[in-house]
Amino acid sequence: MTIKVSRRVFGAGVLAVGVAGTSRGSVAQGTPKRGGTLVATWGGGEPQACYVPAGGGSSPTFSSSKLFERLALRRMDGKFEGVLAESWKPSADFKSYTVKIRKGVKFHDGKDMTVDDVVYSVSEIWKKYAVASALTDFAGIDSPDADTVVFKYNNPTPEFFFASTLCSPVAYIVPKHVYAGSDPVTNPANNAPIATGPWKFKEWVRGSHFEYVKNENYWKKDEPYLDRLIIRYVRDPAGRAAAMEAGDIHIGVFNPVAPPDIKRLTGTGKFVATPKGYEEAVWSTTLECNMRNPVFAKREVRQAMFHAINREFIAKTVYYGYARPGTGPIYSPNKEFYTADTFRTGFDPKKAAALLDAAGFPKKADGKRFTLNLLAAGWFPENGKVGAYVKQVLEDVGVGINLTVPDRPSSIKRIYTDYDFDLAISNQANPSEPVPSTTQYFTTDGILKGVPFRNASGYSNPDVDKLVASIKIETDPAKRKALVVEFQKIIAQEAPLLPLVELESITLASTKVQNHSNDPNFLAASWGDLWLAS
Amino acid sequence: MAGELVSPTPALRGSARRTAALRLLRRRLIQAVPLMLGVVIINFCLIQMAPGSFLELMTAENQVSDPATVALLRKTYGLDDPVWMQLLKYIWALLHFDFGFSYRQNMPVIQAIWIHLPATVLLMVSSIALAISIGVAAGVVASMKVRTFWDSLVSVAAMFFYAAPSFWLGIMMIVLFSVKLGWLPVGGMMKIGGDGGVLEILHHLILPTLALGLFYAAIYTRVMRSSMLEVAQLDFVRTARAKGLSRNQVTIHHVLRNALLPVVTILGVQMGTVLAGSVVIESVFSWPGVGSLLFDSVSSRNYPVVLGIMVLGSLVVIAANIAVDLVYMWLDPRIEIR
Repeated sequence: MTIKVSRRVFGAGVLAVGVAGTSRGSVAQGTPKRGGTLVATWGGGEPQACYVPAGGGSSPTFSSSKLFERLALRRMDGKFEGVLAESWKPSADFKSYTVKIRKGVKFHDGKDMTVDDVVYSVSEIWKKYAVASALTDFAGIDSPDADTVVFKYNNPTPEFFFASTLCSPVAYIVPKHVYAGSDPVTNPANNAPIATGPWKFKEWVRGSHFEYVKNENYWKKDEPYLDRLIIRYVRDPAGRAAAMEAGDIHIGVFNPVAPPDIKRLTGTGKFVATPKGYEEAVWSTTLECNMRNPVFAKREVRQAMFHAINREFIAKTVYYGYARPGTGPIYSPNKEFYTADTFRTGFDPKKAAALLDAAGFPKKADGKRFTLNLLAAGWFPENGKVGAYVKQVLEDVGVGINLTVPDRPSSIKRIYTDYDFDLAISNQANPSEPVPSTTQYFTTDGILKGVPFRNASGYSNPDVDKLVASIKIETDPAKRKALVVEFQKIIAQEAPLLPLVELESITLASTKVQNHSNDPNFLAASWGDLWLAS
Repeated sequence: MAGELVSPTPALRGSARRTAALRLLRRRLIQAVPLMLGVVIINFCLIQMAPGSFLELMTAENQVSDPATVALLRKTYGLDDPVWMQLLKYIWALLHFDFGFSYRQNMPVIQAIWIHLPATVLLMVSSIALAISIGVAAGVVASMKVRTFWDSLVSVAAMFFYAAPSFWLGIMMIVLFSVKLGWLPVGGMMKIGGDGGVLEILHHLILPTLALGLFYAAIYTRVMRSSMLEVAQLDFVRTARAKGLSRNQVTIHHVLRNALLPVVTILGVQMGTVLAGSVVIESVFSWPGVGSLLFDSVSSRNYPVVLGIMVLGSLVVIAANIAVDLVYMWLDPRIEIR
């Protein structure tokens, strides 16, 4: 389950199988006031469709998550909570999970949601499109009675993994009567969805906005508090800042404006900015070594690349302080699995030079040891700036760099299809559950030519493969955590791909907006509990 | 495609003018066929040369990893054909007014463009109308008050709006008129949840029109000023003055009409650049037009839509230039265009 892509343009690229959670009311702010219209935006563009069965990136996730619902969500306190599922429990061998489905839920067209809709969604949408990479061990789903479904797996499946799958931001329950017998990808309902969530689709004015209205028959009787939700698209960050300042937009998620504008707008006292609400989709900027280049055969050379780079400088200068140095493949906000006790490739240019010398790459007469092609994926403008910095510091230690910053389609092709890079600056967004979203960047079965956001470095280590296979089926939480810690230690030392910085995504909201940022993946939350103060 | 002007001949009148105009129209339409063919071929080849394809992006966004599925998609979208075959199929489809299918919008290309077209046409027409109105008026004033304060003022203003990037001008106008003064909306084409009435749209149209139109107004001002000064030195103007006509009569009836010819020429040539300019302005003002669609389509390698917009844009430019030729004939009946 990895969410990887582009933050603004790609809308964070490809939301593979993100595991997310939604928690409600954890930051309740006073007595909710009913009524009103909330206008929201985000730091990216308009989606290709309101709902994309395969996820399609952060933009369709943002637009569809207000309409569709998942079986479960994850709260800010880390606990899981049922949404369309009331409860779930594993079998003794952890090879099946029995899920009780919520009763009395209706789709927006008035039809009842039943276990048939759940079975259809899991077998036809989740397995084939939405969370396919998390269901490789999935053996099928049964509905023994009208309120129950049973997920069956070929191998023992950890509870955290299972619950995380239910919480994936794209693991929606869709109406079987709308999708059955059609191609889900091209079904016209994707642009005018019928779902169960607190908001009902009313209109999509292409190039401008979505308009959603209150679902009067929502199963949570108190929600939604607002009458109307508008998702408005403004391509230019400066335009978003102006629209927010003029009062046309109340809230912007996922870095809606440039960092200097965050400080300016919050300085007026009319806005608040918070990094909360991204704990289940932590973004990073990564540096990836292409193992197909013989110079990277020795891990000391890979480590030298990272030793030459000052990650603090990148965090402060390129990201205006809205980032922190990365340490390993699991990011620091991950309370379940992160460990700081790993091999560190901190800023030390002398050590970088010494490692390169020892690896058999002394400086030649022209002052260069070797020359590399550095590709900075152009889906985020910051990547190009990081690329310019990395070029400079690597040249300081005698590594010649040819820097290119291709646009999004070119970057995808060159990194994941052609493997046409020596070093790549890219981005990831990972949820707490490391399998497969994090691990697929390092396992041999993650090397899939032409499939984006997998193992493009070509790194293959039987020990890592074996370790990940164990993580996948270990059902004891403590033992599983120990395995994940071991995984982090190996990867941090091997350094085929490591985060340079972990990014702090920002939500900017008017002080009138209440109950926002109360979900570890707020962008993908339903927003039924948001309200506007007078 | 503006025609070659031939030495003035005795003015054509009545049915002779109509016949000449129809002949010109027929000739231009025939010339448009190879021109359009060239546009299609060149644009198709340019797009083919761009790295990355919409199929790769689509499989990326949908996390398609099954080679069989990718192969099926390649076949579905005709990408398994050789490039020359794809081009022939595209031209054949165009001849049947079939612009292809946009996978991204999940609808025919022509429908995707049609949804956005009215907004862009409105923006282009209003911007050109503004540019011509201001440009002609300011150019006339500057030429009549040459080397005075007013002439200098017009020149400085024209230089400013010519030099200022339109996206910067747009953002500055948003800051001033929308954020600080609160007079005009920040963006969009109509108020969300509003009635979408004419006044509401016009209210939203003001800033984008100014941002796009003032650049061209600056050009027309400079051209109009110099053209007015040049025409004012010609013999027939001196003759008109000798006949005792007032200054205003001479300016309006003799100088202005003839001085407009260069402006009309530029107008025809610039139709394409106005369309290109709308890409930027639509982005700044969230104007839901073809420019936004083109931007998104290029970013997503949505080739069928990009080609469709290019073809339609070329048609607009060709039509504008035919109109320019006809306006030439109307402005100066002595002109014959080959």
